[in-house]
Amino acid sequence: MTLPGGVHAETYAQDRALIRTPWQWLWFAAFVAVLLLLPFLRPGGAVGIATVIGITLIAVLGLQLTSGCAGQINMGQSAFMGVGAYAAGALAVHLHWSFLMTIPIGGISAAVFGAVFGLAALRIKGFYLALTTIAAQYIFTFAMLKLPKEWFGQSEGLRMDPAVLGSFAFDTDNRIYYLVLAFAALMTYGAWGLMRSRTGRAFIAVRDNDNAAEVIGINVFYYKTLAFFIGAFYAGVAGALWAYYVRYVQADQFTLWLSVWYVGMLIVGGMGSILGAIVGTVVIRLLQELITVVGPQITDLLPTLGGQFVFAAMNMLLGGLIIVFVIFEPRGLVHRWNIVKESYRIWPFPH
Amino acid sequence: MPDVAAVSESAAMPARSAAPIIRVDGITLRFGGVTALADVSFEIGASEIHAIIGPNGAGKSCTLNCLNGFNLPQQGRLFLREQEITGFAPHRIARLGVGRTFQGLQLFAGLSVVDNLLTGRHLHMKTGALEGFIYRGWAHAEELRERRRVEEIIDFLEIKNIRHKLVGSLSYGLRKRVDLGRALAMDPKVLLMDEPMAGMNLEEKEDIVRFVIDIREALDIPIVIVEHDMHVVMDIADRITVLDWGHVIARGNPQAIKSDPTVIKAYLGAEVRR
Repeated sequence: MTLPGGVHAETYAQDRALIRTPWQWLWFAAFVAVLLLLPFLRPGGAVGIATVIGITLIAVLGLQLTSGCAGQINMGQSAFMGVGAYAAGALAVHLHWSFLMTIPIGGISAAVFGAVFGLAALRIKGFYLALTTIAAQYIFTFAMLKLPKEWFGQSEGLRMDPAVLGSFAFDTDNRIYYLVLAFAALMTYGAWGLMRSRTGRAFIAVRDNDNAAEVIGINVFYYKTLAFFIGAFYAGVAGALWAYYVRYVQADQFTLWLSVWYVGMLIVGGMGSILGAIVGTVVIRLLQELITVVGPQITDLLPTLGGQFVFAAMNMLLGGLIIVFVIFEPRGLVHRWNIVKESYRIWPFPH
Repeated sequence: MPDVAAVSESAAMPARSAAPIIRVDGITLRFGGVTALADVSFEIGASEIHAIIGPNGAGKSCTLNCLNGFNLPQQGRLFLREQEITGFAPHRIARLGVGRTFQGLQLFAGLSVVDNLLTGRHLHMKTGALEGFIYRGWAHAEELRERRRVEEIIDFLEIKNIRHKLVGSLSYGLRKRVDLGRALAMDPKVLLMDEPMAGMNLEEKEDIVRFVIDIREALDIPIVIVEHDMHVVMDIADRITVLDWGHVIARGNPQAIKSDPTVIKAYLGAEVRR
């Protein structure tokens, strides 16, 4: 990566900084300001969409760590999310614990559940590992519907009260938005820290060449399990936030379908990059929201087509988009963006 | 890599001690019906350059794999400084100080040169996942400290100008140099090199030879080298072990090996004159 003209690192600390130039600081500050002021700038629908994006982002970041960075394919991220939602929900409903306790515990519960499936990764790779994690999805649904009704409510699910801090209840869209924003910011920061420290390098080492990783002293088994543990922890936190957002937890909310979408978001954004997880989540989520807006309009214009057809066609378009990325830009939007940035910086030279 | 240059300039030949660093005691390794190694024994003394040679399929890489813990021999035992390491997992053996470079390209293609070398420091670092998540104070300080260490190796291997490049974009010779750097970053007590010069041109080979000799002098560690280039082997090795079909057929200094009739037979297929 070429740096912008005139930017040189004089210390190793500068060389490792994520934000290097005044302009980058400015853009970053503007982005944060927009996020903070969003409920005032665009009240209503936008806040709801942003909340869902924030929750999805946390789950996709976790998947990025497991699959994109450590290379362990995981098709059960939404089940891990569900475990977090149920764990947090049950503790809040039955024991009336504060969300400050239930959200981390939801994360840990999901992490333990995920790590159990991660144990399989020692023996199996790729396609077979994907199938094993799909099993997590079915075990999760089955367990939630069959475990005693006093625990998780079986098919009725859990109804929850809003998260409360002292006398302040996160019971409006705007309030829950700030709660999700805080968690999303924390988890994003954490993911960046992880990836530029010892653990992140070990993940990439395991992904790129597990034999060489083992020889230089990286305990591959430990790091594969840890990758699942951390990825599922992110999912669990996302699930717990989801529980407080919709205030209703039910097994049908966490489907295999959703897990597949998360993988799609990674592919579009770019595997193995934290920024890729953010870009992919935002782009796909916004497109999905666009469909719910544009779909009915097309149905109004051409009533003969019928609503069902339009929605099916739009989903096919989204699926097609992912296929296009796999074929033409498997490294995602972030990689494309880096190429653009690089050629801008070294212009007029080709390389 | 403390003061590689300074020590090598003093050109002090390291003192030889009697106790072997590595002792391979009668290892036999079979894959199904194929016997890859049959009762192989040898010792690696302190700070010697020990070459293992032999025709293709002789069991050279298998020997290294046993030392690394990738293959578990059915019989025999392996010792590292009097400690038995037979049956240890590779990462445990690495922790005891066995560094290794690979045949072909075995780097982490998704990491830059600096980060590849930092993975070599993994053993000596302590930051866990939680400290990494927080990335304040300790984790950051450790990153900077290890970066300084790694920069010494970058200096030594003369790869400063490519430190931020992804290794996937480098030439073969440079990648092999990064591979060597990653092994050096482990602060190894013994260095295993599997065909470090295969596929290199003369200049690249000369560079590697220079590095190998400098490393031995600066770090005073034994280097076990598997190599096909006989000119190189005869020039730099203190002792040579020759394998053929899994058996040790000769061992000794380069002069003795060059004129050993069994070695000539194994390599050239010539009849041994009696």
